[in-house]
Amino acid sequence: MAGWREPRRLGSRAIALALLLTAAPAHAAPGGDIGGGGAPGAAPPQVPATPELAPGTPPAAGTKADPPLPKNLETFAPDEAIGLLGKKVRDAAGEDMGLVVDVLVDSGGRPRAAVIDFGGFLGVGSRKIAIDWRLLQLKPVDTAMTVLLSLTRADVQAAPEYKPSSNPGQPIVVVGPPPPSSTAAPASSDTPK
Amino acid sequence: MTEQLLSQTGAGNTTPADASAAGRGLDWLNLFVANIQTGFGPFISVYLTTQGWTQTAIGFALSLGTVTALASQVPAGALVDATHSKSRIAAFSIVVFTASALLLALWPMPLSVYLAEVLHGISSCTLGPAIAAMSLAVAGRSAFALRLGRNARFASIGNGIGAALMGACGYYVSERAVFFLTAGLTLPALAALVPLSHLDRERRRGRKTPARREPLGRVLADRRLVIFAICAMLFTLANAAMLPLAGSALTKRAGSESSLLIAACIVLPQLMVALLSPSLGRLAEARGRRPVLLLGFCALPLRGLLFAMVTDPVLLVLVQVLDGIAAACFGVMVPLVASDIAGSSGRFNAALGFIGFAIGIGGTLSTTLAGWFADWLGDPAAFLGLALVGAAATLLVWSAMPETRPTQR
Repeated sequence: MAGWREPRRLGSRAIALALLLTAAPAHAAPGGDIGGGGAPGAAPPQVPATPELAPGTPPAAGTKADPPLPKNLETFAPDEAIGLLGKKVRDAAGEDMGLVVDVLVDSGGRPRAAVIDFGGFLGVGSRKIAIDWRLLQLKPVDTAMTVLLSLTRADVQAAPEYKPSSNPGQPIVVVGPPPPSSTAAPASSDTPK
Repeated sequence: MTEQLLSQTGAGNTTPADASAAGRGLDWLNLFVANIQTGFGPFISVYLTTQGWTQTAIGFALSLGTVTALASQVPAGALVDATHSKSRIAAFSIVVFTASALLLALWPMPLSVYLAEVLHGISSCTLGPAIAAMSLAVAGRSAFALRLGRNARFASIGNGIGAALMGACGYYVSERAVFFLTAGLTLPALAALVPLSHLDRERRRGRKTPARREPLGRVLADRRLVIFAICAMLFTLANAAMLPLAGSALTKRAGSESSLLIAACIVLPQLMVALLSPSLGRLAEARGRRPVLLLGFCALPLRGLLFAMVTDPVLLVLVQVLDGIAAACFGVMVPLVASDIAGSSGRFNAALGFIGFAIGIGGTLSTTLAGWFADWLGDPAAFLGLALVGAAATLLVWSAMPETRPTQR
């Protein structure tokens, strides 16, 4: 995509949606590396289903004396969930793998892929690459290493650049697990040590 | 002009030594301003990403800066023309840089980032012409080409040092620290202005009645200026996307050393500019502007062609030598041709702003164009497309751009 290469220009990035809420439910399995059925929803191993809008269960906290205070507030511990945008991604060896710039979710609200901005120097020459969500380990507790990617640079660097669906018929290309372990079940594809 | 100033030494404070102190001030000023501008480069988008900004919001903020800069080029130039105290305008612009950098560092929130982008866009447009005007005052018309060569040398040294410094700062300290560093670097830039501040006073004394300015419209409609602005626009259209595209190719092809190679792609041309600019200024004075222009413009399509063919990462970096040649020629020629055309009209800075406007448009379109080519036909085709635009620019210079060097008096 044009805009990723040199930010100093008109409206270039205006195409990038913050969260692609409509991530093509029908033709969502592009390379066969994403499990077909409803399985991917169960994928993210480390993140408990926190930021969902589970109704009911009014919590105990939130007792500041401000105007009306809605009744349906929930809480979770600060280390249970994090904002993902802009978090640093590292591989198993701790090498810098870029920043999370976007998350692709399907119609059920389940994350399918993370878009990372990878490589470059001082913002020049970086590439945006979409990574299968199941290859990411999220560690909200550990602020130094929040996102762990079970791929290496070599797996990622040559992948085609992620392009926000400019053409509706075009599949979104995502980097999946390395070829040999393609049978790995969604839930157990943590770290191929 | 300097001769005029020097003859004016009633109070004895304008000696040649003084002029060279001003010269050294200009050297440092160019170095530190280039340093600062590195901080306002594409790194802002990395920083805002780490602050949890969405790509849409970042794109908007950067576009805001681009549009502001585009819109204020000519008015800012005219403002500098109309202002007596160029050093004061420069100082003011630099202080605004300080404010912008601090806004970015302290409050990476939408409103302050937008404000920072707008402030930076405007003050870039006043600072560039102010430096050019002070250079003209210090060197005089006869030595202006040499002065510009020297300016370009120090600016490129500043760019190189800035890239290294800020790369290290972002890597070892934090993304945010880069902007504190940028703000800090405005202080030595201000200090470099001190030996230049007396220019204004003498200027006022030297020329009690400012020469009557030609109407802005007539200066901007000068055929040579329009042709040169189109050439500059095409040059930037071909040039601006090449480095990011090559950097992206390096990220694709090279391993963990790719960041270092991209850094080399940025620094190597700066080194070339630092080495070449003074000789190019001399060449422009001795042989005329056209040879230098043609040299720089020819390097551009050649570079695109080589980028399209070369795949080896190290060779890719070496192709950037051509970037250095082109940038050196272009950097010296833009203010020089502007002064050739409009120097005596009192509209030098407006003319410079006009060319800057054309350059801004070329830069804005460049990445869009290259991105389309790259998406449809691949990187080599994008490089070839850019080379083609570069060739068209060269052809236009060769066929339509007249020699602007003033005839020997």
